[in-house]
Amino acid sequence: MQEIRILLADDHSVMRSGLRVLLERQPGFRVIAEAADGRETVDMAEAHLPDVLVVDIAMPRLNGIDAVREITGKHPKIAVIILSMHSDEGYVLRALKAGARGYLLKDSPEADLIGAIRAVHDGKAFFSPAISKMLAEDYLRHLRQRGGEDTYELLTAREREVLHMLAEGRSNKEVASILNLSLYTVETHRSNILQKLNLKGTPELILYAVRKGVIS
Amino acid sequence: MRETRRNTRTLLLAGFGGLLILMAFAGLDTMQVLRTIQNRNDAIRSEFLNRNRFLNQIRSDLYVSGTYVRDYLLEPEPSKAESHRTGLENARRNMETAVRQYARLLRESEQKPFANLERELAQYWQVLAPVMRWDAQQRQTAGYAFLRDEVYPRRTAMLGLADAISALNERQLTTGNGQVSDLFSSFRVRLSLTLIVTLGLGLLLASYSMSRILSLERESNARFQETAQARVELKQLSARLVDAQETERRAISRELHDEVGQSLSALVVGLGNLAASVQTAHTPNLIAQIAELRKLAGSSVGVVRNMALLLRPSMLDDLGLIPALQWQAREVSKRSGVVVDFAGEEIVEHLSDEQKTAIYRVVQEALHNCEKHAGAKEIRIKVRQQQDTLLLSIQDDGCGIEPFAQQGLGLRGMQERIENLGGMFNVESEVGRGSLITVRLPIEKHARN
Repeated sequence: MQEIRILLADDHSVMRSGLRVLLERQPGFRVIAEAADGRETVDMAEAHLPDVLVVDIAMPRLNGIDAVREITGKHPKIAVIILSMHSDEGYVLRALKAGARGYLLKDSPEADLIGAIRAVHDGKAFFSPAISKMLAEDYLRHLRQRGGEDTYELLTAREREVLHMLAEGRSNKEVASILNLSLYTVETHRSNILQKLNLKGTPELILYAVRKGVIS
Repeated sequence: MRETRRNTRTLLLAGFGGLLILMAFAGLDTMQVLRTIQNRNDAIRSEFLNRNRFLNQIRSDLYVSGTYVRDYLLEPEPSKAESHRTGLENARRNMETAVRQYARLLRESEQKPFANLERELAQYWQVLAPVMRWDAQQRQTAGYAFLRDEVYPRRTAMLGLADAISALNERQLTTGNGQVSDLFSSFRVRLSLTLIVTLGLGLLLASYSMSRILSLERESNARFQETAQARVELKQLSARLVDAQETERRAISRELHDEVGQSLSALVVGLGNLAASVQTAHTPNLIAQIAELRKLAGSSVGVVRNMALLLRPSMLDDLGLIPALQWQAREVSKRSGVVVDFAGEEIVEHLSDEQKTAIYRVVQEALHNCEKHAGAKEIRIKVRQQQDTLLLSIQDDGCGIEPFAQQGLGLRGMQERIENLGGMFNVESEVGRGSLITVRLPIEKHARN
């Protein structure tokens, strides 16, 4: 198995060294660089092109989310995990829109970080269980309180399949080849799904999937 | 101050009282004087008439007596002569009555002519007395001569005296009239003086009152200005206070979040690493202790995060107003079970920090009220932008204004916050039918981004 090269970005050096110790204990993981602020993160990512970037949101000079947007804009192959104090879905959505695929809370980073790195490195999305739970609960409460119909019921079996795969982080092309469909068909499914669920773009689709418990 | 006011009151009372007393005095005096003049006039006139009457009586009796004397002396027949004599006697009695009556009204200046008249009269009657005893023969021979020499001249003299007295009487009337007119003119002088004094006092009083009123007006104007100024300052102070509080909250929230929280997270990771490294040392007790510490640090991260959010949600600064409001709506809904419907996706955010904060705090306070006091089941929050105005509405189906009114301070705080930013804050409520809070906030002026 190929080694996963990791860039750590956090303005707290204690945090960085703690994470480095944690990650380097894992076989197949290697921390290739550390950055102490957003600007440095961008520079390091440019310089080292890591497989996975683990980044804090609250950082001086350039905040984590803006740094991620800059990096994934140029290097979409770099998988990004946000490591944050914030549990609100506003931040999660913002992180996803910036191009992150994983979102971890700092309450228990070490428990989930290994799994998260592997998941995003495989092209999947990953969220702290606490976040998934919160999103799912909010969604259920929303449904219960308003008594509205579950929009998930509106989707066809094939659309659910496509939704699932897209939410996992797969591209249209990947979905097309797995399901043995044309790219055009997958794109049509995708836009139908977004319309039926009243969503705008993949980040919202991923959040929706987490809420529904389709992925975790 | 109080002393001045009392002095003013005394002065005004004395002034107006004096004025009224003067006017009353002038009126009473006028009435009195007019009555006196009338009485005097009447008295003078009636006295004059009486005297005139008596004088005329005397005068006519003199004439009559002359006639009777002539007829008596020239009458040859004794019986007829006797009747003339009786007539003469009657005339004499009448005259004497009139003389007695006039004597009672006699004035000093008339005493001499009147005494002359009385003496002449007495002589007249004395001269006549022997004639009355004459027989027809005597009358025939000496009668005419007697008439010519004695009776007529005396009568003429007496008439002259009566005329003199009459003239005196008339002069007296003129004098009386003069006295009346003197009285009148002295009254006129007095009245003029009284009026002048009244007018002067009135003018003084009016100018004093005027100046007092003007100075009072100035004073109250100045005080009003002071109050208005104080109110403005209070408002500014309150706005600054709100600002300062918000700044402080943000600083503490940031500090908690970015420093304390991060350090605790680092602690969590460090403790995890520690546990992993001591695992090889076969000390299960130590591992359990480390795990305990790690759990504590982990839950502290959550506590710190919640504290920071309570102070000031970081979304407000990091993500903007709408995500912060969405979070707030979700939190209240999660905490209380109240359905909180939030619609506000379409806003273009060009809000200043103060505006964001004000709107956020208003919504927070309103939700708090709905949740705690109004017993609402459903709350609808709408935020949208209409040209240069941000429109916010918060509608609930709670029990309306009454319990809401107890939260007056909160409501007033919201209102103040919005008005300080030049916005409008309005609450409509009906008991039992919930309430609707609407806010209009101009957003161009304060735009910074």
